[in-house]
Amino acid sequence: MAFVLTRPAAHTRPAAHTHPAAHTAAAQVGVAREADDVVAPSQHRLASRSRVKVISAAPAHVLLAVLALVSIYPVYWMFVTAFRPAGDALSTNPLPGPVSLENFLTVWQQIPIGSMLASTFGMALTLAAAQLVVAVLASYGFARWSFRGKKVLYLLFVGSWLVPFQVTMIPNYLLVSQLGLLNTVAGVVLPQLCSAFAVMMLRQHLESFPKELLDAAQMDGRSSWQTLWQVVVPNLRPALAALAIMLFISAWNEYLWPSLIMQKSTALIQIGIRAFLGAEGNNWGAIMAASTIACLPIFLIYIFLQRYVVDAFVRSGLK
Amino acid sequence: MFKPRALALTALAAVGALSLSACGGSSSGSTASAVIPELSPDQKVEITFESYNLTQAGVWTDTVKGLVADFEKAHPNITVHAQPPQGGSGPAGSNTISSVQTQLLAGHAPEVAQLTFDGLDFAATQLGAQPISDLVGQKAIDDALGGAHPFHPKAMHLADWNGKTYGIPYVFSTPVLFYNATALEKAGVPADTDLSTWDKVEAAAKAVSAKTGKPSLDVACTSIGGNWCMQGIFKSNGASVLSDDRKTIQFGSDAAIDTVTKMAQLTKDGVLRNADANSQLEGLAKGDSAFLLQSSAVQGMLMQAAAKGGWKLKAAGMPAFGSKPAVPTNSGSALFILSQDPAKQRASWEFIKFMTSDHAYEQISTKIGYLPLRTSLTQQGGSLYDWAQKNPLLAPNLAQLDRLQPWVSYPGNSYVQVDDVLGKAVEAVVYYGKDPKSTMQDAQQRAQDLIK
Repeated sequence: MAFVLTRPAAHTRPAAHTHPAAHTAAAQVGVAREADDVVAPSQHRLASRSRVKVISAAPAHVLLAVLALVSIYPVYWMFVTAFRPAGDALSTNPLPGPVSLENFLTVWQQIPIGSMLASTFGMALTLAAAQLVVAVLASYGFARWSFRGKKVLYLLFVGSWLVPFQVTMIPNYLLVSQLGLLNTVAGVVLPQLCSAFAVMMLRQHLESFPKELLDAAQMDGRSSWQTLWQVVVPNLRPALAALAIMLFISAWNEYLWPSLIMQKSTALIQIGIRAFLGAEGNNWGAIMAASTIACLPIFLIYIFLQRYVVDAFVRSGLK
Repeated sequence: MFKPRALALTALAAVGALSLSACGGSSSGSTASAVIPELSPDQKVEITFESYNLTQAGVWTDTVKGLVADFEKAHPNITVHAQPPQGGSGPAGSNTISSVQTQLLAGHAPEVAQLTFDGLDFAATQLGAQPISDLVGQKAIDDALGGAHPFHPKAMHLADWNGKTYGIPYVFSTPVLFYNATALEKAGVPADTDLSTWDKVEAAAKAVSAKTGKPSLDVACTSIGGNWCMQGIFKSNGASVLSDDRKTIQFGSDAAIDTVTKMAQLTKDGVLRNADANSQLEGLAKGDSAFLLQSSAVQGMLMQAAAKGGWKLKAAGMPAFGSKPAVPTNSGSALFILSQDPAKQRASWEFIKFMTSDHAYEQISTKIGYLPLRTSLTQQGGSLYDWAQKNPLLAPNLAQLDRLQPWVSYPGNSYVQVDDVLGKAVEAVVYYGKDPKSTMQDAQQRAQDLIK
């Protein structure tokens, strides 16, 4: 059910994960430069070189294509099973069909999927927005000022990222319970307001933010606060968009923590999907149909905001 | 407005505390004066009921919620908040105790919880489950479990602990050998063939395997998560997992080693399939296998699969080893009271009585398909007679109840780990050909260390 389109690791080490297109582009630029350097370039030599390049790149492309297929297959299978009649849920026929909406009807009748989608959307949006705001403020602080204990503080942020959720789960639960926030979306959001990953990623972006711009803003008489919102944030828009999408997706996919806090309600979609798993057999058709519905908002967001994600990757890769 | 009620509640709490301390002090159990007081008709009480059936959408949730609504109608002064256990990644029913534990830590455990029998020792000794026989008196329990359609005698005391009743058995099932009669017939085995012993099961499975070219028998008991019925397989061969004094782990005994060796032989002979519980269930449903020894609770799912797949589903009792009688064990759960408050305890008891009444089992059995623990409901004149007649698969399950022995819970805080050690050892021997003697004895030693 966890559906992750982009892994955070790709962001933290942009150099190691440069977009393949960028690689190809860089390679082509390189080839062109070499060609310029040669006074009387042999067309034949150049052609054979690029042919060698193409041939040598082929295995990598084949490998990538195979990996892409392997990655996409579970998603394909989810759609195929969801659209099969309930009785054919265990069919192993790799081709789709016969098409039926029976599973979707079951999901619609047995769980309040509409309200689940709405409240999960609200929860994920609140969480992503809160984490983004905290990350912007924290990373701005880290990148802009030098102060005593900065490194230690940053290490603490990184350290908190390394502590597994399971370790802090029970203490957080008790705290949320004492605050009287059990069974509320606020209880789900509150302990996760700060995302160490988001702070780290934004700090990287801000470190490479042109200092001249900041100095210019200061000379223009802008305060630090104004500089942040009028100069830094507008320039970081692609990075913020990419980060926001990632934070939203991970909030959307949350299962364990909401299932602890929202025990009494069937408010969140990831818990709703679980309702079709049982000791007396799983209703795979309904699980796949509910998962398909749960994936749709993420798909839509990714499709419409994909440009920002790619932009962010390419920029950070070239810098 | 609030003062009289507050006073009444305080008085009630004081009485309750007194009665509880009286219970604690008396070694002979409850007395008539020590029981928690009845609720007055206008005394409003709210309780929370945690049931793993609510984890699952469809008939499970609908039936439980329907019963809760019926109860609230019959007891307008009691409000029941029904909730599923906290999230976990295992199947429904696998995290009932850990969920209650977490909520206890936060100081708001559910008043009534449906807990599985493997945690009985832990629930009674560590979790703070209240001895119901002390709270309401043994007579009240006897009356509740009796009536025109009493609980089956083997089911009555499954959640008793040290002579006290801590839980009222709620829903459970026994291991039943489901089989695809159509596949048997295709392999030349009569549909009503005798499958009463493991030898006979192996012979029939061999015939089907010879026809299909793949292993045709699945046994949920020998894979992880099936220890409740593995205990039955052990007992059927004269072995036991725990000594009677509950101090010694015994699954490394000669009889236990012999049991797993026999099960491993089924794998060596090419009839026992190596699959996890889900794949086993889906294997029979899809026609990949022809036999499945599993909880009778899966009957409904298999009946649907058989109807859709156009094959005939039949059921037999748990197989025996030669002439020794088969000893089925039960899976499932009982209802426990966790509240310390006398008013809530009384409300909880009223609720438990309702959830284990004739009406409740009529709903639970016909809608979910669980075994009615008030078995005489299925006999002529009983309200479940027609339903039982329409479900011939129920017969082996009901017949087995007479030979039922309880699912043993391990002592100590590491009862889950002990069960895990056993499950892994059984899998290693039965499916992966590990040496039975050294594996089981090693597991026994490790489990023994865990209960010390």
